[in-house]
Amino acid sequence: MSPTRLIRRPWAAAAALLGVLMLCSAAAGLAWASHTGRPATPPKGTPPLVPVPKGKWAAVPPSAAASVPKPTALDIPAIGVKTRLIRLGLTTAGTLQVPSSTAVAGWYTGSPRPGEPGAAVIAGHIDSYLGPGVFYRLRELKPGSLVYVQRGHGSLAVFKVTAVRTFLKTKFPTAAVYGPVPDAQLRLITCGGTFDPATGHYLSNVIVFASLRP
Amino acid sequence: MRTPRRPLARLATAAAAVAVATACLTLGQLAAGVPFASASTGVGWIRLAHLSPNTPAVDVYLYSFRDPNAKIVLHHVSYGTVSPFEQVPAGDYTVAMRAAGASPGSKPVLSTAVDVRAGHAYTVAGMGPASGLRLQVIPDRLRAPRGKALVRVIQASLNQDVVRVTVGGIRLASHLKFASVTAYRPLKPGALAIRVAGSSERTTDTFQLMADSLYTVVVLDQNGKLAIDCLMDAQGSKVDPVGAPATGFGGTAARPGAGLLPWAAAGLAGLLVASSGFALVSRRRRPAAHAR
Repeated sequence: MSPTRLIRRPWAAAAALLGVLMLCSAAAGLAWASHTGRPATPPKGTPPLVPVPKGKWAAVPPSAAASVPKPTALDIPAIGVKTRLIRLGLTTAGTLQVPSSTAVAGWYTGSPRPGEPGAAVIAGHIDSYLGPGVFYRLRELKPGSLVYVQRGHGSLAVFKVTAVRTFLKTKFPTAAVYGPVPDAQLRLITCGGTFDPATGHYLSNVIVFASLRP
Repeated sequence: MRTPRRPLARLATAAAAVAVATACLTLGQLAAGVPFASASTGVGWIRLAHLSPNTPAVDVYLYSFRDPNAKIVLHHVSYGTVSPFEQVPAGDYTVAMRAAGASPGSKPVLSTAVDVRAGHAYTVAGMGPASGLRLQVIPDRLRAPRGKALVRVIQASLNQDVVRVTVGGIRLASHLKFASVTAYRPLKPGALAIRVAGSSERTTDTFQLMADSLYTVVVLDQNGKLAIDCLMDAQGSKVDPVGAPATGFGGTAARPGAGLLPWAAAGLAGLLVASSGFALVSRRRRPAAHAR
């Protein structure tokens, strides 16, 4: 198609160009509207996670640092999850920071490390504006399913799912998720239940409870 | 300055034995058709300890009433040893002690019943002097007041049979007798100095104690000297996040996000205009090219 021929039918060419432009802007608009990164509030001003003792006793690193390495990746073969783990802190409002990408999960650094006594907490998105997120199939897990957490220095912690529960966000079980436990456990958190388009949030959380496999 | 001892750090072989036995126990439960319940319901925790200074090493057995074939055995447990916590289905158990290496079929030296309630933890310890050895079931707490560390003391030193214990400057016990246990006490977390003073000996050690976590300080005779051990009973998150995390944007929810509709409509319109424009261009062009 030579330029001279296009100019012979300028209105047709203009229509085509206009259409392409509209398509481009619509695609950009879609991408913008579905942008997954309603970014977590930067952890600026976050209260320190480790209480710094005052007085003549110097602070020592948390006891965890000596034994169990930090988690780096998560594998749940039963639901096809394979992701690296980012670090999550707290927002300025004191809520749990969530990953800015819906494709990765994150470990809450205020929780015990996976494999040490206590419940390690890992959170990930069920979906973005457009489609499934890393924990889209979390609710499909069944008691007995295995969860693999890779940690530094090539060490691996294997957890076995003991329960999968859905809780209304207004009745989030803070003690069962973050409270003290005597053995090594894991909590996987995502959203679920009904989606409220008015607020842009799901009304419930799906929580997977798992224990370190002996 | 030390960090509280993770039970896992010690007793590696015993822990392995417990692990294998628990696996068998769990399998037994599953085979029996009893659902292995969640972390929040249906299971409890138990750990076994030898805290009798002049009693030689023992083999400790944990039997389940529900499943006679399931048992946990800790071999050659010596004074000062505490096993890690093991998750077990709630129910009735028997803890029995035999001399190290004694036949599993022989009559136990000591035994006691433990009723493990769902969501509760228990330390079953051989306590007292060898002459008056007893198995004591010590309930462990699993909740700490927000932002506090809970600390208690087990007095297992026979050489200094009455001690005074302070943790971080707070006195936990003034005249704590041998083979007794204090209640838990909430303390401000941090690196805390634990001081133990008996009638003729005293010692100090510093441990890092964290918020929302529970600890048991054990006063011991170690090679004839007064010693302090600090066990972590349970650990929580250092700070509990507020509320429920927002981990979804609704892209897979039953209703599509309203904000997407106008853009999708614009895209559709663009596609129509573009395709008709291209169609017109190519239709006008073709006959012209043919005519030439």
